[in-house]
Amino acid sequence: MLMQRGQMPRRRVLIRPAALAMLARCTTALLGGYAATAALVSLVSRLLPLSRAEATAWGMITSFLVYAVIGLWCFHEPKLVRVVALVWSVAALAGGAVWLIGARA
Amino acid sequence: MAWIHGWLGLLAGWILFAMFLTGTASYFRPEITQWMQPEQPANRVSAAAAAQAAVRYLSRVGVGDEQWYIYLPDDRSAVTRVFAIPGAKAMPAKRPRAPELELDPRGGEPIHARETRGGEHFYRFHFQLQLPHPWGRWLAGLCAMFMLGAIVSGVVTHKRIFADFFTLRWNKGQRSWLDAHNVSAVLALPYHAVITYTGLMTLVLMYMPWPIGANYKQPADFGKEAYGYVFDDKASGRAMPLVAVAPLITDAERRLGQHAQRVVIRFPGDAAATVAVASGGASSLNARGGTVTYSGVTGRVTAADTGAGPALSTAGVMLGLHTAQFAAPALRWLLFALGLTGAAMVGTGLLLWTSARRRPNAAPFFGLRLVERLNIAAIAALPIGMASYLLANRLIPAAAAGRADAEVATMFYTWGGAALLQLARPAKRAWCELFGLGALLFGAIPFVNAVTTDRGFFTSLRAGDGLFVGFDVAMLAIAALLAAAAWSAGRERQGKTRRKVRELAHV
Repeated sequence: MLMQRGQMPRRRVLIRPAALAMLARCTTALLGGYAATAALVSLVSRLLPLSRAEATAWGMITSFLVYAVIGLWCFHEPKLVRVVALVWSVAALAGGAVWLIGARA
Repeated sequence: MAWIHGWLGLLAGWILFAMFLTGTASYFRPEITQWMQPEQPANRVSAAAAAQAAVRYLSRVGVGDEQWYIYLPDDRSAVTRVFAIPGAKAMPAKRPRAPELELDPRGGEPIHARETRGGEHFYRFHFQLQLPHPWGRWLAGLCAMFMLGAIVSGVVTHKRIFADFFTLRWNKGQRSWLDAHNVSAVLALPYHAVITYTGLMTLVLMYMPWPIGANYKQPADFGKEAYGYVFDDKASGRAMPLVAVAPLITDAERRLGQHAQRVVIRFPGDAAATVAVASGGASSLNARGGTVTYSGVTGRVTAADTGAGPALSTAGVMLGLHTAQFAAPALRWLLFALGLTGAAMVGTGLLLWTSARRRPNAAPFFGLRLVERLNIAAIAALPIGMASYLLANRLIPAAAAGRADAEVATMFYTWGGAALLQLARPAKRAWCELFGLGALLFGAIPFVNAVTTDRGFFTSLRAGDGLFVGFDVAMLAIAALLAAAAWSAGRERQGKTRRKVRELAHV
């Protein structure tokens, strides 16, 4: 769908809305996905009822899978608003929770 | 999901190809280093004796050092590697990493082998990409993450995964590139998934350190609890002779049930000295190994870390699976072959991108030409650089100053030179000629080796030197592979693009 070139009339616009939407989607997937992943795995590893070294390691081990799934979902979901809202709010909420709970004693 | 697979693969593909190729070579990191230092002694002594000899040398030259790292010789590496962190008094404001020394395991004296980065260069390049720290590692991690995304989305889009496993139609133009991409991807899919994920795990402390912050007020405590790293203790300032190290190595090997790989001595010659003996991945799937720490004065055990919980063991096994130090020679060759299928998967995917977009009787658009030229620069020109690196090792005089850097520079100048010169040729000829040049250079390595050293093929064969014989055979095999690639790139092929192929290739 990105390859349909030639048909569109060339207008003097700095950035086309479609490109802007794609930029927002990519940013959300790459940065928002990373932030949401970091916050989620931190929260889970903080709450896991294991020794803190073990819980930390489980969080780190699962992180890349979580990141991959979130990142791909950002391109799978057609509604950009839903993508941006969900990913960034997960990052903010989980991150906020981690910050509120604080490190283990 | 289909188009994202194509774009993830395209954007990271060129770097991933280089990472796969140099990483695959790194399965033989110690062997490449040995080959690149033909002066290395071929003697074998026990780990305990090698450690004692190294300590004897370091005690003479490194009085007042804060810490000594001693990497013991094993079946694959015939030298002891050491490096020292100087003490606070001798230390400048910013501590530079002291140069690593190679010692003769018997006498403990530095060996006089040619200066080279050896197999370490390919290994470092495959995750640092010759960029300044930490950008190379971040870029490699980003590409690995793209790879993981491409694998997951590739599986999701691939409805006929089982049927494609058995499908390879040769000489059908674009159809064949798609089949080749599918076969190389699906056949070794477990390998690709594991090598990508475990590769990310090797640098997880850098990429995803946040769970540590959620659990620890002092992040350094995680290293202490999980890996037994201790860096905050202090020297006492009272001089005491260091205990004999050899018996400690023997004792640690008995306690760990594994070969000792590494000895770390803190505050040697001080009353607070410690000797930590660690095993590693050479004798177990878990690269983490165990550590026994002794007092450096009395020789008593002060701490023993012989096991970890499930999560840390899982992380250790992931690390072990990636570095594959546990692998015996046959398995190592199998992994090497699988690594090549990884490079083939990335390479055929890149070729598929161009061949699926080329229309007959139409001039290629700019993006297509750009991708095609970058494909040639990444796929066909990199082997030329790697062969030149090995040839430079034999052709630069062994005593030349700065020769290690010159070898590395040779690789990048020939790679870059080939990548630029191909622009002067039609794409089809460029593929053929660069592959052919790569085949010539790899084929030349055994002959240059025979002329410049006294360890040529027949001499090594008579001496029963498996490493040098195997190296020559491997170089000729790679040359044959590249020659086949050159031959196939040079043939006329029918250029029919069928609608169905374009659909399957996600265009």
